[in-house]
Amino acid sequence: MISLENVSIGYSERPVIDNLTTEVPQGKVTTILGPNGCGKSTLLKALACLKVPTQGCIRLDGIDLSTLSSRDRARKIAILPQHPIAPDGVRVGDLVRRGRTPWRGALSPWRTEDQAACDEALVAVHLQHDQSRTLVELSGGQRQRAWLALVLAQQTPILLLDEPTTHLDLVYQIELLQLLRDRNRNSGLTVVSILHDLNLAARFSDHLILLGAGKLVDAGPPDTVLSADNIRAGFNLQALVTRDPITSAPMVVPH
Amino acid sequence: MIRWAILIAILVTSVCLALRYGQISVPLDVLWNGLGTNDGPGSLILGTIRGPRVAVAMGGGFVLGLSGALFQTLFRNPLASPDVLGFTSGAGLAVIFAVSFNLAIAPTIAAVAGGVFAALVVAAIAYQKGVETPAITLILVGLGIGFFATGLATFLMTVLPTSSALEAQRWLSGSLSGSTWGNAGLVCGLGSLLALFALAQSRALGVLELGNDMAKGLGLSTEASRWTISGTGVLLAAVGVSLTGPVPFVALIAGPLGAVLSGATTVAGRLLAGGMAGAIVLVLADLVARVAIPNTQLPAGVFTGLIGAPFLLWRLGVEMRKGRV
Repeated sequence: MISLENVSIGYSERPVIDNLTTEVPQGKVTTILGPNGCGKSTLLKALACLKVPTQGCIRLDGIDLSTLSSRDRARKIAILPQHPIAPDGVRVGDLVRRGRTPWRGALSPWRTEDQAACDEALVAVHLQHDQSRTLVELSGGQRQRAWLALVLAQQTPILLLDEPTTHLDLVYQIELLQLLRDRNRNSGLTVVSILHDLNLAARFSDHLILLGAGKLVDAGPPDTVLSADNIRAGFNLQALVTRDPITSAPMVVPH
Repeated sequence: MIRWAILIAILVTSVCLALRYGQISVPLDVLWNGLGTNDGPGSLILGTIRGPRVAVAMGGGFVLGLSGALFQTLFRNPLASPDVLGFTSGAGLAVIFAVSFNLAIAPTIAAVAGGVFAALVVAAIAYQKGVETPAITLILVGLGIGFFATGLATFLMTVLPTSSALEAQRWLSGSLSGSTWGNAGLVCGLGSLLALFALAQSRALGVLELGNDMAKGLGLSTEASRWTISGTGVLLAAVGVSLTGPVPFVALIAGPLGAVLSGATTVAGRLLAGGMAGAIVLVLADLVARVAIPNTQLPAGVFTGLIGAPFLLWRLGVEMRKGRV
């Protein structure tokens, strides 16, 4: 479990996240929601220690994250940033191998467990037959799954994803979210992602953290968080909340 | 694998051509006979006249090319090579400075000091707090520092006696005449050590390539890695410059040329291919410099400049169309 206690992030005079106290449950799929510029990305980066809080403390199972070495942290928490850079001509297999970085010394040879982790990650994202293809040859959905395989090969109990479905067609969005949830259900991976689509978030998440302008609006299961009042408070949007006829998850319909 | 074999074949052929041709051409069988004996024209050419020169061209080209590939990968920009970034000009200036003021410093030490100093100046000017320095800023600052260093070196030559000034002028434009086996040993010894160190960095480089957030997420100390890789690159370039002079554009061309010839997709492969391409370019440039005009030995830098400048312009055009400059 990751717990945040009075966390402020950003510049001290104008914090992006202001005095936030909440938690990310272990072994669940959590989604961070909120309007543009509310500090979702900043919060996610702080969970991965890419940003240091100016105030407060983020703990992983009771241990202050800032006391972990970057390698130890990278063995516990993986992050897929919103815009990772694809090196020219890189092949899928070679890209995924880089996910083993925190488990290897600078000069240590490639071990069977490294190969096993990469193979397993590629199978999980259904790209096991595409290892020798270059990233540019892949479709948008496949490319995002290749990046996902990289962070899965990192073999961390916690995976953070910054808008993993942006720029993907709806089919690929669902495919990716389904994949993440399967991974969570099968291996207990704690998944924390940022999504824009409230209905997809409701459908695929166990826990929601709704932010509005740097502050927490509400956190909890989708049924309680996605209320008309919360959506007004977070997004300044009048909406009707009804039931998704297929999954009976809450469904947000703007007025 | 076939493409690597072709790359090696091109290098071997270039070396053979460079040994065979010059002001006089020596058939390969004469050279071959000279390998075993201590007299005869083959032995003279191999042991004294062309042997050390070609060895220095190969070693110097390799370290310059490797340095280029290292910086181009680190800054994710094909224009970010130590010659464009002004490091080689800085190293050249330091050597001229040491000669002008009769400082008792080995050229290699002076070149390393100058290269490191130029790199620090470029870094200090381009540095912006809290953000990753864009490659274009480094390139523009580097070009400026490079011009300044070259100008200062030219000015310093006016205080030299005419004969030393001429020699300095030759050296500054990148000349391999007067290379000795001692030079070749130096560049091969130091070069191999640095090359091994650079290859050991290829894993960190491969992670840095994915962007700062991804690299940090994978547990890499990004700042420390950048400094280590840059330091290795500056040292490689300085070792090259101390023996070949600040020969222009070898480091710039080598990375892309090596990547195309070898088809390498891994970082270590690209670095190695860049080094080999650098060796090929400098060996051939020196050969052309020796045979282009009969009875005249031009500096190799004249020819790398003639190939490199259009390449730089073309590459600049490509990058501008991609919106990266």
